[in-house]
Amino acid sequence: MASKNEPRVWETFLRRPGDLKEEVEIPLVIRDLNPGRKKYALRHVLAIVSRKAEEIPQMDELRVRTVVGVELPGSWGIRILEELPVELPGRPYQDFFQALKAWVADQKLDRERQKKYE
Amino acid sequence: MFRDNRDFMAALRSSGDLLEIEKEVHWDLELGAVSRLACEKDGPAVWFKRVADYPEDETVFANPMATWRRVAVAFGMKPHAPVKEIYAEYERREGRLIPPVTVEKAPCKEIVQRGGDIDLFAFPAPMLHDGDGGRYLGTWDLAVSRDPETNWVNWGMYRFMVYDSLHLTGFPRPTSHLGKVFQDHYVPKKKAMPVALVIGADPLSHFAAAATYHIGGEEGALAGGLMGAPLELVRCEASDLLVPAQCEIVIEGEVLPDCVALEGPYGEYPGYRTGEMGNGILFRTTAVTHRKSPILTVDATGYRDDSSTITALTGAIAIKRRLERHGVPVLDVNVPRDGAVHTAVIAVKYGGRQVAREILETLTSRRALLSKILLVEPDVDIFDLGQVLHAFSTKCHPVHGIHAVQYEGRANTLTPCYSQGERAAQKGATVLYDCTWPGEWSREWEVPVKATFATIFPASIRQKVLSQWRAYGFKE
Repeated sequence: MASKNEPRVWETFLRRPGDLKEEVEIPLVIRDLNPGRKKYALRHVLAIVSRKAEEIPQMDELRVRTVVGVELPGSWGIRILEELPVELPGRPYQDFFQALKAWVADQKLDRERQKKYE
Repeated sequence: MFRDNRDFMAALRSSGDLLEIEKEVHWDLELGAVSRLACEKDGPAVWFKRVADYPEDETVFANPMATWRRVAVAFGMKPHAPVKEIYAEYERREGRLIPPVTVEKAPCKEIVQRGGDIDLFAFPAPMLHDGDGGRYLGTWDLAVSRDPETNWVNWGMYRFMVYDSLHLTGFPRPTSHLGKVFQDHYVPKKKAMPVALVIGADPLSHFAAAATYHIGGEEGALAGGLMGAPLELVRCEASDLLVPAQCEIVIEGEVLPDCVALEGPYGEYPGYRTGEMGNGILFRTTAVTHRKSPILTVDATGYRDDSSTITALTGAIAIKRRLERHGVPVLDVNVPRDGAVHTAVIAVKYGGRQVAREILETLTSRRALLSKILLVEPDVDIFDLGQVLHAFSTKCHPVHGIHAVQYEGRANTLTPCYSQGERAAQKGATVLYDCTWPGEWSREWEVPVKATFATIFPASIRQKVLSQWRAYGFKE
């Protein structure tokens, strides 16, 4: 198990090439690759990812697999900004990734509205 | 018959169909790789008695019925019973339903966990294949659910992946019985669907759950019929669903009607990981009960997994019954083991365009799991794939003998040859190869005469040759 200060290793799955946008806040589902009983536990997060991990401090490592489970070469850096709910609103059997993006967009809109009325 | 999974394992040990591995094996890929190779080598079922990261009293039993020998043992038949006889035995027992009985106390309640005690990582769910979406707790399982309108109780074998300590995600296909009841009766009312995921029940309960069985049919009564005695069920802790009392583990929960979850990708029974990912259902655990020293049962899915025997067999009999009901002149059906439940060989009294069309329509009208059908005449032994290939190669006309139908919204989304787009739209096709002689051909003047010993010699010569066979010097 990595200590609190050590970078941790995560993994994500992409439906298509280009789905991983760099250096902007994006919602992601990531799974824990650190050894132990809870290896492969999944989380929904808002994060920033980058190919240039060394330029951004306190980044964890992110590995990427494709929709058929093939691991892409190399790794990315990831900084987790916010935890998102596991019970993600959406219609069963519909596209999870779209639901994740829609939830984040709705939250953003709600925050902006709140700010406006404050 | 076997009252529980442990009795079945003891019988497999006696017949030489169980390997017990004492050496520690890791749940992260090693266990999956051993189990997978055992399938591909037609090896024994495997009992992993020490799993890394887990106490010694938590063990894993893999590939319960992935060979015909183990299916025969589960049915109480001789292990070397021919496949054709196992088909006939299932067909004989399938029509005899014995409703289950309810009991108050059950071994599966030896340990009960609710609320904060629940931790799905407490079980050694394996990471079966490198690159799967997660660890699968539900592979050799039995998911119990109920239609709230009719009270019909459905059992199905569906895959379930561990998401976090409290949640599973699953992919019972939208066209499956569970998927249909969930979408028709729970999602529109925004009601959570109670589901109990049963792991490690007696073998014929899992067989019944995996069986291709009609909507409205009670698999619990089918299991009783297959066993020849009523199955004992016990009430769940958090819902009024009933589960097999003698099973190893029960994960009780509810499938949420207003949530979507990442599920997969996963190396499935067709022998591929097709990239089906990200549109599953979310299961929130409400209680966990299990026996002391629970044995987690696992199907190492892929080429020649448990579906290659049990899903194939029950699928074949279901196809036969359906075609009979629709007036097709069907004689027998085989879903060959290496066809990944995608190919059926159907023997008919006669073929032709009309019969081909009736078969295609009947077998693809609600959900279309098969993509290839070979239609043969009674002279072909459908369990002898050499004979089937010979008929296909010689009798199927490359133009007039091929019939295909395309459909949308009901295709098998796990079929590897479909594109990602087709899979998303559940779009697919089924092709039928008519390996029968055209009905309009004269048997006397046009139908070619088969040049085999059984068909091209007079009976008197055949008898003479057979009676003299060893005298000629042949040993067999």
